[in-house]
Amino acid sequence: MKPKDALSCWIIFLGSAMALIGFGSAAGSFYIGDALLRLLFVLLGISLLLLLPTSFRLAKQKRSFCWMVAFAAISFALAYLVPSAPPKVGLRDYSIDASLMKFMISSLALVITGPVAASAGFGPLFNFTKHAHQASAYCFLTIAILLILYPLGLIISEISVNGLPGITWEFLTQDVSKHGAEGGIFPALVGTILLIGLTALIALPLGIGCAIYLQEYAKRGRLVRVIRTAVNILQGTPSIVHGLFGLAVFVPLFGISLLSGALIMGFLTLPIVIRTSEEAIRSIPQEIREGSYALGATQWQTIRKVVLPPALPGVITGVVLGLGRAAGETAPIMFTAVYFMGARVPGSLLDPIQALPYHLLELTRYWGAYPVEQNAWATAFLLLAIVLGINAGGIILRERYRQEF
Amino acid sequence: MRLGRNTKEILIKNMFLGVAALSILIILFIFIFLFKEAFPAFREMGLSLFTSDWSASQGKFGINAAVFGSVAVTGIAMLIAVPLGIGGAIFLSEISPPRLRVFLKPVIELLAGIPSIVYGFIGVTVFVPYLAKTFDMLSGYSLLTGGIILGIMALPTIVSISDDALKAVPREIKEASLALGASKWETIKLVTFPSAISGVTAGCIMGIGRAIGETMAVMLVVGSVMRIPSPSFDVFETGSTITALIAGQMGEAWGMHTSVLFATAVILFLIVALLSVASDLLQARVEKKFRGG
Repeated sequence: MKPKDALSCWIIFLGSAMALIGFGSAAGSFYIGDALLRLLFVLLGISLLLLLPTSFRLAKQKRSFCWMVAFAAISFALAYLVPSAPPKVGLRDYSIDASLMKFMISSLALVITGPVAASAGFGPLFNFTKHAHQASAYCFLTIAILLILYPLGLIISEISVNGLPGITWEFLTQDVSKHGAEGGIFPALVGTILLIGLTALIALPLGIGCAIYLQEYAKRGRLVRVIRTAVNILQGTPSIVHGLFGLAVFVPLFGISLLSGALIMGFLTLPIVIRTSEEAIRSIPQEIREGSYALGATQWQTIRKVVLPPALPGVITGVVLGLGRAAGETAPIMFTAVYFMGARVPGSLLDPIQALPYHLLELTRYWGAYPVEQNAWATAFLLLAIVLGINAGGIILRERYRQEF
Repeated sequence: MRLGRNTKEILIKNMFLGVAALSILIILFIFIFLFKEAFPAFREMGLSLFTSDWSASQGKFGINAAVFGSVAVTGIAMLIAVPLGIGGAIFLSEISPPRLRVFLKPVIELLAGIPSIVYGFIGVTVFVPYLAKTFDMLSGYSLLTGGIILGIMALPTIVSISDDALKAVPREIKEASLALGASKWETIKLVTFPSAISGVTAGCIMGIGRAIGETMAVMLVVGSVMRIPSPSFDVFETGSTITALIAGQMGEAWGMHTSVLFATAVILFLIVALLSVASDLLQARVEKKFRGG
């Protein structure tokens, strides 16, 4: 290994380390100290300076060389500026304590400078060819995907670790008591299952019907465009708007009840069912239909006997994915279908229910006021497990189905 | 009576047409009924809805603070989610090894399904105490907290749709670029990404729509105080959003108060519908571009 390469690698390492330290100090809200901060920036500046002669010789475009000079200058400037920045800067007059600004400034400087310096190290390592840009870009993109997966992974692991111990037989089968602090969640579990069952009964026929019309009877034209736009708007409609719609239309008719909630959830899941069913019907080859017509079958016979049976798994996938959404939604049912206290397992369609997401909402509101911690974590875990389980089932079904065609 | 073959076919076709038209009807009904409930507010309050003075007990209903909160929270969320999401999508579609992609793509789709109440719960139990400690805030409930949670929530949507857009770029274009001697990164930067830009934008717009309309996650962490922070860039303050306002107050509202909440829902619905149509048009453009009409 040439000394130039070793030095470049060292700069990349140093830059990444600085970024990590920056993240660490932001996450732990501590300041790493003037001396250490200065040392890091000075080290970085010196290393960049040492690389300058080689870089000048190697760089065909002098622009990349100028960048390295600028980076070196900036790290020396930061070494001087950041530790000597007055601790009371900026937002002091507002709601944030000024003495904390120091760690914020220092970690911001580290998190920004680190990766930039590291990317500067790639230039000499790859002799300033286009592969230098590629390598540093790839590093940044890899970091992006890690940064995406990290918080999501954190949420899931946090809920699993805290929630799993709370899942007991008693928890699953007992009634809610003492604002959810004791007892179980049996009514909520049953309510959610009934709700998504009924939602499926409403969304399935409507969704398939719409998909058949869009794919088999009318593929283009103004009406089809309008229908598609409507489906898209429906898909984007915020769940709280669905909830208010239910409050204005269904609650006067059916009261706060299982039926009102299921109707709203049916409308909410309709676009997902339509989209997935359309995809399934579209994937049936045209030749099969033509074969059926050639035998004298009518369009409806062709759809019923030839198109639908092979498309059915795809359609079911859509329903499963839609139910995954319905199982987790709170806003549409909070004014239309649920009570927290007093709701039991419903005896009829017109009884109010209890549902897991709403139960979790109430427990979150009681957080700190009543000792609901363990039951809240367990409810969150159960809800997450049900929703992710349904979705995982849907996605696996779909992948398998896609491979077939 | 036996129906003729043709009559039966026409009947069935019309039945399906009816079912398909139902989605148009639902959208119309949502708008009509929301507007009907909101009408008294629009008639009585008129433009005085758009003031900053909210006090339900004194009959003052200025919703500016909620609109401001929605915009601020969505803005913070997009600052987090757009750059990260696009980076993640490029990684997923262009440079991840196929085996990793086969694993990651469904995982990210799965994460898009985490219910919003779970984000809200995690927000209250983890983020709020953490931010309160880190920034030494009074409570940790703030517009910033809402924005961060929304940003994390919007990530999977943006990654998933942008990834689809990048994957839709035909292989021939990329191969032509590589054959001309461009590196893989140059191809991504100068060929693939520019071709996919309308699809990626559509993904981001959908992310914005989802963030504005999100209720549970935001309501629990923004503090639900109807006040514009002063100075307005102070996102460490508590605030409220349109959705938090509706979900938080509908339970105890009556009369004009209810009507005003419906009016804010009408405004929200119109904003999100516009965003949906915009993202739709962009996606239609993508299809036209690559499928030759």
